Amino acid sequence: MRIELDQPRCEGHGLCEEVAPDLVHLDDEGELVIDIAEVEAGSNEEHHAQEAVRICPVTALSLK
Amino acid sequence: MDRNYDNIVIVGYGIAGMTAADTLRSHGYQGRLTIVGGEPHEPYSRPALSKAMLADVSTVEPQYLPASDHGAKVLLGSRAVALDLKRNTITLDNGEYIDFDGLVIASGSTAKRFTDHPREFAVRSLDDALRLRTRLHDQPNVVILGGGPLGMEIASGARNIGCAVTLVHRGLPMASHLGPYLGGWCTEAARARGVELIDGRVAEVYAPDSADGPITVCLESGQEVGGDVIVSTIGDAPEGDWLADSGLLTDGRLKVDTRGRVNEHIVAAGDIAWLPTADGHERQPLWTAAIEQAKTASHALLVGDEAPPLNFQSYFWTEQFGLTIRVSGDFPIHGEPEVVARGQKANPDALLLRWNGDAQSAAAVGYRIAIPKLRKVATGDFLPS
Repeated sequence: MRIELDQPRCEGHGLCEEVAPDLVHLDDEGELVIDIAEVEAGSNEEHHAQEAVRICPVTALSLK
Repeated sequence: MDRNYDNIVIVGYGIAGMTAADTLRSHGYQGRLTIVGGEPHEPYSRPALSKAMLADVSTVEPQYLPASDHGAKVLLGSRAVALDLKRNTITLDNGEYIDFDGLVIASGSTAKRFTDHPREFAVRSLDDALRLRTRLHDQPNVVILGGGPLGMEIASGARNIGCAVTLVHRGLPMASHLGPYLGGWCTEAARARGVELIDGRVAEVYAPDSADGPITVCLESGQEVGGDVIVSTIGDAPEGDWLADSGLLTDGRLKVDTRGRVNEHIVAAGDIAWLPTADGHERQPLWTAAIEQAKTASHALLVGDEAPPLNFQSYFWTEQFGLTIRVSGDFPIHGEPEVVARGQKANPDALLLRWNGDAQSAAAVGYRIAIPKLRKVATGDFLPS
C-alpha cells in the first residue's frame, strides 16, 4: 500500500507526524515530506499510516 | 480480551464514531458492528465547514474522510431517539429497534440558535454549511452573533464573498479562546477587512411570521441590528435528548471516566462526553480531542482498565482574515509573548510565539510547524534553528 499526499490541501498541521513519525515529517519550511511511502498491509507501518490518514483535518492524505 | 462482545453499536458517525470503529477493529474486535449516523452523508471534516468550504463558494467540495475498512453496517440518515438499558436496545427514528451488547455513544452536539426562522443560520453540519454557502453567494447583508472561532471564520468567509458583515460580540472577539494578545490581532484583522464590530450582548432576536420578512437582533443596550441573514455562533449543545430516559445522564450530562467509560459496557467520545478534569467534568469539543477520546474509549470498551487512560494535549487552530493561527498549551493566555522565530520562505511575515511563565503556551501565526514541535516550543524544549 502507498501513502499519497494531495499537496495543495496540506496545511502543515503535522498531526500526521505526531502519529506516524517513522513515515512522515514536516521540514523546516513546514512542507510535508513522506519518508516512507510504501507500507506492507497488516504491518505496524500500515497501522501508523492509517492513523496519519485519519487524523488529517484537511483530508490531504490517503492510503491506496 | 476479557469481554466477549459480538454486537457493538456506535451511535454517531462523525470523526469520533469513525475512529471508534477503526479502533475496535485494530484491537481485534471481529464481531458485528453497526453504526447509526444521524446525517445522510458519509463522515466529513467538520473543521473544514467554516474554513476551506466558505473560503471559495464556487469550487470547494465537502472534505469527506477517507473511507475505512471497518466493515460495519452503516445506517446513514438514521437517528437514535431512545436507549433502553433493560433490554439493551436503541430505538431509531423510523420506529425500528436495534440491540447491542456493547455501545459507543458519539452522537455529537447540535448548534444553539435563537429561533427556527429560515433566515437564521447556524453551522454545525455539512447541510448547514452548504445552505449558508448557497445563501452567501447572493451577497446578503450578514449579521453574525458571536465572535468565537466559528463566528470569526464565517465572518471572514462572508467578507471574501463580498457580503457586508456585522459581528456582535461582548468584549474582544477570540479573546475567550486565545487571550487578549492574539484576540486583538484577530479583531484588528477583521476591522481591516471591513467587518463592522459591535460590542454588545443579544437580548432577543425578532423573527417575522413569514419566511421573507426582516429579522432583527435587539441588543441589551437597546440597539437594533437588522440584516438579510443572521448567523448564530453561540455554542453547541450535546445531542443527548435520546438518552434522557436512559438513566445515564447526570444533570443532563453524559459523564465518563478517564477512559471514556459510562459503565461496564457503554463508552462515550467526542462532543457529547463530559470528561473528568481538575475543574470538574468538561467537554472538549475539538477535532483532535474527538479522535483521542474515541481511541481511548473504544479500547477501554474491549479491555477495561488495561487500556491506557486518556492523555490529551490540546491543539487548536483557526483561519480568519488572512491569519492562520495554531496554538498548543494553555489558552486563553494573558500577557505578551516573545517572538522565537520569524519568517519562512512561503510567508516572510510568519511568526512563532511563546509565552513564558507558569503557563506553557506557544502560537504559530502563519508559521508552518508540525504540532509535535509546536508542543515542544510551548514547553521550551525546542527552538527552530
